[in-house]
Amino acid sequence: MTQRPVFIAGCGQVGPVAEDPRSIVEMVLEAVEGALEDVGITHQDIDAIVTASVDILDGLTASNIAVTEVVGAVMKPEARIAADGMAAAIHGACQIWSGAYDTVLIVAHAKPSMAPYQDLMQWAMDPIYLQPLGVDFLTCAGLQAQALAAGDAGAEQRWAELASARRAGTPAAISADEILASPIVASPLRAEMCAPMEDGASAIVLSAVLGKHDGRPQVTGVGHDLAPHDLGDREPGIWRGLERACNRAYSVAGIDNPASAFDLAEPSCLFPHEEELFVAAAGIGNATVVSPGGGLFVGHTPVVAGLSRLAASASAMRQDAGCRRALAHGAWGPAGQGQAVMILEAGAP
Amino acid sequence: MSETVTVTIEMEQAWRYASGTAMERFSEGLKERRIEAVSCRLCGRAYLPPRPYCGKCNIRMSSWTPVKDEGELVAWTVMQLPMLDGRTGEMREAPYGMGLILLDGADTTLNHYLAESDPAKLAIGQRVRAVWCNERRGAMDDILHFEVIR
Repeated sequence: MTQRPVFIAGCGQVGPVAEDPRSIVEMVLEAVEGALEDVGITHQDIDAIVTASVDILDGLTASNIAVTEVVGAVMKPEARIAADGMAAAIHGACQIWSGAYDTVLIVAHAKPSMAPYQDLMQWAMDPIYLQPLGVDFLTCAGLQAQALAAGDAGAEQRWAELASARRAGTPAAISADEILASPIVASPLRAEMCAPMEDGASAIVLSAVLGKHDGRPQVTGVGHDLAPHDLGDREPGIWRGLERACNRAYSVAGIDNPASAFDLAEPSCLFPHEEELFVAAAGIGNATVVSPGGGLFVGHTPVVAGLSRLAASASAMRQDAGCRRALAHGAWGPAGQGQAVMILEAGAP
Repeated sequence: MSETVTVTIEMEQAWRYASGTAMERFSEGLKERRIEAVSCRLCGRAYLPPRPYCGKCNIRMSSWTPVKDEGELVAWTVMQLPMLDGRTGEMREAPYGMGLILLDGADTTLNHYLAESDPAKLAIGQRVRAVWCNERRGAMDDILHFEVIR
């Protein structure tokens, strides 16, 4: 790579927790302070900020205005992304690659415990053809899962085992039999197959100048993609948007064979069938460890998810010298309409 | 030209906001007709409404400053259009006065209604004081409005 480096210099995380009693401002403040402390810097070292938030979840328009002070954006350049935090991270990395800034703070937050998420997400659907039918994100996931399960008699059992495996060894541990005994929420998806919705905030410091000497992981490729909104305009059995996003990232990172390229993958998958879609579209092989901490199956915060996967990837690389390359993923919209990935490579040992 | 089709969707939706520690203390004070600003130990600004963080100095704030319920009108307008009152869903009839009030002891202003709605009787720099509701629940409308001290 000839462009200047972008390091994941530091991370701060709040949650996921079922219901955080604090205000969004207080949650974000703790995440931001955690990230700055992880690098050992103050707001004075931050050149620009990119925030990710979704108005309909926060119940106000321009939901970034509520956190302007606590992200340190008063009288500084701030950009706001109304999508998953991974898209915000890509925006920040591009700002650094452009030469505009050296160090950018990325922050994402959501507090879905404030209002019924499923109802709210109806507002995110097409208002003419879909909202009158009450189509929401769960409906779309059910439609996609059913399309995959058709002609695949073992799908339900396999998905139950996958969701169980992800939660093994965590407080949310549950057997495949228990998952299969849980009620169906959108056939063929069962309640315990779904990632639990929780509150959270995440902050990450990206920098061209900080982190190099501490061996922090480096961003070597990014890609994102937006598929058509309507499921009928997509191929139901494949995340073609993720495939395109990955190919863009692989091209930048010089990866020819993704099947053997990654030690770790941290996908943003809300259901087991989505993880199968992720593995297929990203083209990763059996040697890649997927979601060693359980991924979103142990707690999912919308908007924050992708940034939390980026933090999880960076953390794993800092702790395990054998983890040399990772693929972090964020997704948003109905049935993975929006897709974004970042490739991380370990810093100098 | 094709006929327009209107799709009407109605949905009732509420969000439960956590007030946060700063707003919680402010709200408790309002119940007792007490207004407190939160102060930054670096720049010394006393913020109203209170918030947990000084955006100028980038530090947490936790010291409190008592503020009087009277102060100076630093900006005002008289609205001539009725507005939808988010608390009741009803229209608030015009005209009504709206002001930015710098309470004695604070460094930032509070937004609130003015009792006076005649533009000829309002001026920047006028002294105003809070008119409290008899029953208070710890919210901004525990203050009915601010009246000009004549």
